[in-house]
Amino acid sequence: MRLAASSVAFVAVASVGCGKPRVATPGPDRQASTAIRDKLVTASTGGGEAAAVVSTGSGWGALKGRFVFVGAVPADRPLVVDKDTEVCTKGGKKLLDRSLRVDPSTKGLADVVVFARKTSRVKDASPPSEPVVFDQKECEFLSQVLAARVGRPIAVKNSDPIGHNTNIAGTAFNQIIEVGKTVSYVPTGEMGMPQSVTCNIHPWMKAYMIFRKDGYVAVSGGDGSFTIPDLPAGETIEFQAWHPRSMAANQVLGLDVPSVKWNAKGRFQVKIDPDGTMDLGTIEVPAALLGG
Amino acid sequence: MTKAMSKHTSTQPVSVRPVLSLHVAASLGLLVTVLAVGCGPTPAASFRTNMVMAAKQRLTTDQERQVATIVEAMFGTPDEPVALPETGLDEAKLLLAAGPVRSDIVGRKNGLYREHCVHCHGITGDGLGPTAAFLNPYPRDYRPGVFKFKSTERADKPTHADLKRILHNGIVGTSMPSFALLGDAQVDALVEYVKYLSMRGETEIKLMQAYFELDDDAQGKLPETREFLVDEVLAGVAEKWKSAADAAIPVPEMPADIDLAASIAKGKELFHGDKANCVKCHGVTALGDGQANDYDDWNKAIVDFGREIAGSREQAAKTSTAEMSPDELAEHKATLAWLEKSRQVLDGDSLRPRTIPPRNLRQAVYRGGRRPLDLYYRIHAGIHGAPMPAAKGTIPPEEIWHIVNYIRSLPYEFDGELGADRSMVASGR
Repeated sequence: MRLAASSVAFVAVASVGCGKPRVATPGPDRQASTAIRDKLVTASTGGGEAAAVVSTGSGWGALKGRFVFVGAVPADRPLVVDKDTEVCTKGGKKLLDRSLRVDPSTKGLADVVVFARKTSRVKDASPPSEPVVFDQKECEFLSQVLAARVGRPIAVKNSDPIGHNTNIAGTAFNQIIEVGKTVSYVPTGEMGMPQSVTCNIHPWMKAYMIFRKDGYVAVSGGDGSFTIPDLPAGETIEFQAWHPRSMAANQVLGLDVPSVKWNAKGRFQVKIDPDGTMDLGTIEVPAALLGG
Repeated sequence: MTKAMSKHTSTQPVSVRPVLSLHVAASLGLLVTVLAVGCGPTPAASFRTNMVMAAKQRLTTDQERQVATIVEAMFGTPDEPVALPETGLDEAKLLLAAGPVRSDIVGRKNGLYREHCVHCHGITGDGLGPTAAFLNPYPRDYRPGVFKFKSTERADKPTHADLKRILHNGIVGTSMPSFALLGDAQVDALVEYVKYLSMRGETEIKLMQAYFELDDDAQGKLPETREFLVDEVLAGVAEKWKSAADAAIPVPEMPADIDLAASIAKGKELFHGDKANCVKCHGVTALGDGQANDYDDWNKAIVDFGREIAGSREQAAKTSTAEMSPDELAEHKATLAWLEKSRQVLDGDSLRPRTIPPRNLRQAVYRGGRRPLDLYYRIHAGIHGAPMPAAKGTIPPEEIWHIVNYIRSLPYEFDGELGADRSMVASGR
């Protein structure tokens, strides 16, 4: 009995005495860190810049393809709407999580983002000046995923009779958007992956945005198809694929398409002919990847 | 007494007692060992890896070690901080704040961070000090490099003076006390050290995120070159701190001859109107009861990661391993291991997420300061890391002043109509 009691005390002290148990972390390698520091404090030697893509061709071509969803399409999850119901659930309308949009007849998968990781050349030197509209109505964002070139103005619009705010993660932008008004936002930095866009007044509202410096980014439409025009021809370009519902780290879309070396990180490589169009054809996305 | 005791002892059955006392002695010995050794002798203080970010980025143990090694090369240890020239940090100030609490040769107190800050903000500045779990709101985690109360635009860093003001005044309505009793040089050193911990944390996060951006031929290892570590990663982090002083919010002065009553009335209209829309979160009554289910960025990151894990676990549970190839099986097992590790990481390296209530504006308690100027900053730029959006661009400066005047009148407003307004809240939601 006494043994049991003192064992309990021992266990209690061992498990509680020093606070919550935490996962062990590998400590730094002291020798290596000293060696790295020596390199960091000496003046830059130059020339070691990140390997730029070498231009190996001329002319321009396009990349296209169509994503289709394979498997049973899960039912849209209803969202909890607890505010401004006279506008948001007008006429008994139910708001649904629209992050997985599959065309019922063609099985086309919308909202797949495809962008070039690096290219050597860009056809248009400057981004288009006409704004791309990002609207919200009845407490839903009208674009589920919006892609734009850095420097192109985004016209953030509010088509509701109630006020919203639009909060773009990873940027400086979180502003109130007055009823019926538009606020312009010009993205200044590139995003490595799409970032979430939310309205804090109505927290169920969620969309995504991605800005790329070269503008070589596309979002698949309602039928699952996408096109990226004016890509530099003659060089191997690595692309990244992403979907809001992907279960993978960073929501990338790792597929099995050996012809373009599609890998688990959701990247694939193609070389485009001048004035040609590289057509990836139908690209199948298994339901399991999207939590289906 | 001694006699009685010895007599008493001698009457004990000899056959049982030695055995029992041996057991007791042994387990007591263990207990004493644990008490004495379990929590000490204190090892040299070390920074803790940002395990939530490591798990989120699904880093391998080797990658976690590489990050720890690089970050130590760039920033040193809690006892011996290093400030590369690119950080713009003053190493002399850091030394005053870092290390164990002690006095130097002229009797000046050293180790200020560990004396005053560490029990809440943690040795790493992760807001996970031993007292953190008992506080509401939780102490700030400096690592994402996001600070709420400042004179600069939303996404910019606070100025040195902004952070000094917070240390000097404390943050009313929170557990953050005033350190006005410390001398100016000491506060200065602590601010420098907070910036150091923040730069260190942000650099660590950027390094962890960089693994994903690597090309395949890098074989999952970050380049340990000056070009990458300093020019690409550190310079970007440090630059924001250096340029903070230039990012001050321009504040036109409130007109001296302003008709206060009229301004308050206009402010009230704006507060409740669709343009400024303050009412949606702060409530019709301004009691901060208009919005109850949103998180700040720190808590949201934990909530989102928790959801990601839950989704993956659900997916793994319905995955059949029967027809898997060896490769697929290995991948499946790796996912399960990641899920288990992530669960443990969330358990030990994060605090239970809490929603963020909008401020009750009738209490005259303003965390970022009660000067009209402070309220102007909050409305103009919003609050970085919190749901509060910026009015800039939608509300012109003179109208921001009207809202400021209205907010400042709220704690003194006759609250007879509040009862009626309360029922409006109920029906409006």
